[in-house]
Amino acid sequence: MKLTSLLERARGSILVLLGVVSLAVSFDASAIPVFARQTGFKCVACHVGGEYPQLTSLGRMFKLTGYTMGNANDIFNLTTNIDRPPVAVMLQAARQYYTNTNPAAGNGNAPSSSMDMQVVSLFTGGHITDNLGAFVQWTWNKYDGNITSGSQYTQSSGIDNTEFRWADRIVTADSDLIYGVYANNRSTMSDVWNSTENWTSDWIGYFNAGGAPAPTTFLMGSSAQHGEVGVGAYVFKDKNWYGELGVYKSVTHGPLSFMTGGATGSTGVPELDPSPYYRFAYNKEWGPHSFQAGIHGMTSYVHGDPGLGYSDWSGTISTYRDVGLDAQYQYVLDPHYFSAHFRYTHEDMNNSSAMIGTSATNPTDTLNETWADVTYIYKAKYGAMLFYHGATGSTDALMNPASPTGSPNWQSWMPSVFWAPVQNVRIGYMYTFYTQLGGVTGNTLNMGGTALSPHDFNTSMLYATLIY
Amino acid sequence: MKQITKILTLSAVALTLGACSTGLDRSRSLGNPQVTGHTLAQQVCSICHGDVGSNVNGNSVNPTFPILAGQQAVYLEAEMQEFHEHTRKDKAAQDMMWGISRDFTPEQIKELAEYFSHQKPLPNPAAADADPAMVAAGGKIFNEGNLEKAVPPCAACHGANAEGNGPIPRLAGQHADYLYKKLMAFNDDAQREEEHEKNPSMHEDLERPHGVAMEGIAHGLSDAQKHDVALYLQSLK
Repeated sequence: MKLTSLLERARGSILVLLGVVSLAVSFDASAIPVFARQTGFKCVACHVGGEYPQLTSLGRMFKLTGYTMGNANDIFNLTTNIDRPPVAVMLQAARQYYTNTNPAAGNGNAPSSSMDMQVVSLFTGGHITDNLGAFVQWTWNKYDGNITSGSQYTQSSGIDNTEFRWADRIVTADSDLIYGVYANNRSTMSDVWNSTENWTSDWIGYFNAGGAPAPTTFLMGSSAQHGEVGVGAYVFKDKNWYGELGVYKSVTHGPLSFMTGGATGSTGVPELDPSPYYRFAYNKEWGPHSFQAGIHGMTSYVHGDPGLGYSDWSGTISTYRDVGLDAQYQYVLDPHYFSAHFRYTHEDMNNSSAMIGTSATNPTDTLNETWADVTYIYKAKYGAMLFYHGATGSTDALMNPASPTGSPNWQSWMPSVFWAPVQNVRIGYMYTFYTQLGGVTGNTLNMGGTALSPHDFNTSMLYATLIY
Repeated sequence: MKQITKILTLSAVALTLGACSTGLDRSRSLGNPQVTGHTLAQQVCSICHGDVGSNVNGNSVNPTFPILAGQQAVYLEAEMQEFHEHTRKDKAAQDMMWGISRDFTPEQIKELAEYFSHQKPLPNPAAADADPAMVAAGGKIFNEGNLEKAVPPCAACHGANAEGNGPIPRLAGQHADYLYKKLMAFNDDAQREEEHEKNPSMHEDLERPHGVAMEGIAHGLSDAQKHDVALYLQSLK
């Protein structure tokens, strides 16, 4: 039977959720994904309370040393462990609830009535040599892009988070130095503190109410996801000081284009000229506590017009200069797991001349994006999270057409609870509510001629994930 | 042709990176018997069982992970063998050490035990935050036992300063949270033994089958007394 038809059959049924649970509890508890098979660890060793993607100190060190620790296949010496295959799968079934179902008003991209299998990810990677390792993810999304009318939706599939790292660690009696290089397909993919966008704590395939006018900075936004290739180098000294420099560029053809799936401006992905990325941080660990604070930034040189879907590869260049602060605090000592993250990113936009008068009023604009979250997990089984996400910035009527004043300002909160009956399964409920969009709190947003309020974009989601 | 160029370029990059190997003495491989215990201690064990800045000394920071510096080599070797064989089953053992020790050779285990037993244990910084009254109460149990419940003094086996002796572990300066959890594991095992005696057909499945000597002792201490003893031991230098 074809996978798609199987998925179709399951659609709309709570049986998917029950099936995920019963399937998972029948698994051998030690048989889990790629890195766990390689190290023999349970999820909780590297993830806070066992819940991906938040990394513990051990998880950070595993990533910084190039995903190489453990015992795995060695492709160069042609040794394999057939009982530890370097592949894993993640399935996500979910049902969304929201009220705004008007396609013209930027409604959601999953039918609000569905309970079905919405995301399938495949993973591979880990140890390649003693210095070289990889994280490779491929994802199928049932719903990609907003529903245009009725229940029509677009599926997508392709390469997702992917990174190759080469790393070395020099340890002496009074010094510890990790240094390495990486190639990956998204800025912030290299993050180990979950305080920047790619690995923020809400990392779960989440289909909210589609077109909420909630602008983000270019660096933290999802607009450049997996459409660019970056190479970078980093050092981590004495588990205290971290420094990283990278440069990202669009790659539409050639050997590295497998990391972007050949994405181009015509497929709605920004085309980047070489754009520098950097990160510096201080890390401190004492007792069960750990703390990190640092700065991040990227200056992106982007062809084309985001308002027109970046389709103009040969067009003029817009510049997005992002600089920010980020921090993390963790308490990791069973049965209590706690973490908190904060980031603030300031963006200076230099809009290309082609944008002026079409998708931007001003030659320059600013945006200040703020993210904060707290997570508490008990016994690696029961968890609760609260996220805040929002932005403020300069008024620009063409850039923020939904706002009656041209304001980009918005605020949202997202409480969430979950239960992990076994380490491979997470069942949760999350709710996103917008307290401000387009600088307004009332019923004055102009969404394609329809007047809406921020609350019309509120979304909740019941989900179950299985990772195996 | 394009595909061939692509494959050749990627192969060349992969081979170049693969060739840039820093060798066995900086390997993090847990499945290569040629990697020495010393290298494993530096590259792998130090991540959790190390201090920051001087991180190969076996003095762990997070109480999830025990301090190994100065531990009895015979005890370390026995525990690693138990992790390797999955006979030690407490939660932390299953979460991490079963995997770490999965492919250890007897030689690597011996080298690791020797390595950590020769590291210098540092005073536990958490000792300063402990309630002196609880530490004193723990000290009394350590030196005099709990005669009401037939618990002998800990010092009788673990040494006057909890320095350990051969298969009996050093406890001085160990994280109180770690010690408390281990006492609770022995306590749970004592209850499992009791249930097993009542119903012999039931599978025992002890967390620490080689820690039978500790079961009665842990069972004879209240949770508060276990906590006091753990705090006292943490304060020892």
